[in-house]
Amino acid sequence: MVRALGDLESTIMDRLWSYHRPSSVRHVLEDLRRDREIAYTTVMTVMDKLYKKGLLRRQPQGKAYIYEPLITKEAYTAQQMRESLARSGNQAATLAHFLERLNPEESKALAAALQVFPLPGRES
Amino acid sequence: MIAAALAAYAVFATTLLPRLLVRAQWSDRAPRLAISLWLAACGSAIASASLAAVATAVPTDTIGHELAGLIEACFAMLDNEFDPAAMSIGGWLALLAAALIVIRAASGVGTVLIAAHRERRRHAAMLRLLGRRDSELGAIVLDYDEPLVYCLPGRHAKKVITTAALRSLAPAYVAAVLAHEQAHLRGRHHLVLAVAEGLSRAFPRLSLFAKAKKEIIRLVELHADDVAARHHPRIHIAAALVSLATSRAPAFVLGAGGETALARIRRMLHPATPLRRREKLTGMAAVGMLLVGPAAVALLPGLSALVAHHCHNLFLL
Repeated sequence: MVRALGDLESTIMDRLWSYHRPSSVRHVLEDLRRDREIAYTTVMTVMDKLYKKGLLRRQPQGKAYIYEPLITKEAYTAQQMRESLARSGNQAATLAHFLERLNPEESKALAAALQVFPLPGRES
Repeated sequence: MIAAALAAYAVFATTLLPRLLVRAQWSDRAPRLAISLWLAACGSAIASASLAAVATAVPTDTIGHELAGLIEACFAMLDNEFDPAAMSIGGWLALLAAALIVIRAASGVGTVLIAAHRERRRHAAMLRLLGRRDSELGAIVLDYDEPLVYCLPGRHAKKVITTAALRSLAPAYVAAVLAHEQAHLRGRHHLVLAVAEGLSRAFPRLSLFAKAKKEIIRLVELHADDVAARHHPRIHIAAALVSLATSRAPAFVLGAGGETALARIRRMLHPATPLRRREKLTGMAAVGMLLVGPAAVALLPGLSALVAHHCHNLFLL
């Protein structure tokens, strides 16, 4: 159940990110109902949770709220990745080892090494 | 005497041993063995230091009666005949020192494990929200414009690849890199790294633990490369590494050099012959000696004394 709710959070965020404008629970619900059977209260609960998590902002409109992502998906991803990987002092958390970058000298040394073993091209 | 020997070994293990191990040329040819050796060296240093303290504390009248003395002390304690006042203040202090060494090591590793677990849970929640599962790749694909490939260890272990990495790598290279990540997960490398990290934090002044951490970080990469190379051409792993290591560095990564990346690429292109059987056995024997050595030194004289005493009694019966 927790898993399903997590998936729903992701689906709803994706929808909201794709709209590029504030939307009501009713609007998201109708969008989701094109693919699946889902209750109004479920969508409302998940969106309220996303608001509490700080992913959405909302403002009252009539009797309900309209919701909008706080930042774009790209910006959110970048922020999350920065937080997770910049602290790679803790190697045990995420094993992100492909962060190393070669400096120009090293690249030159590498080019020499690769001349002996021509790399297969992208087409391979 | 025993205490002095153990203490002397502890000093050797924390000062000279790391220098010897760093110089070992064979470590790149047998990274897994080298990892075991480093961990065993760390374990033996902690064991010998704490056992040296215990050996100092346990009251012994004659050299070589440690275990017999210890067992007698335990029995005395069970019989409520043990008088704590009989032990000198020095003895208590030594026991306290032994406990502190062990507690410090355990809490250092524990702290790292807990922090890593929390961090991974946070990251997993973010991946659930932003990533999508690609069952063909067996990995989470994350829409992100830095080419990154990594894994998230733990109970719900997953491999992660960004869309930028997918764009810049040929499919065969993607498979090779993911095999490398799978090797990290299967090898439980995060636990090895947590131990190394935890010990280096617990004893920051001792070069053994700092060097062990640095070497282990490097060695797990070499090991994962070797495992990936069992099913993927080495040239693919090298090419993937080149591609990932020469791309634009993510803005948030501090300008770390590609020392390990370079060594890994070279190693994939010019594979060294693996260790011969005899060399491997020697290495394993060294690991075994490091692990049981301190305990053996602490216990053997006592054990022989015990046998001498009590077998003598047996003969009398």
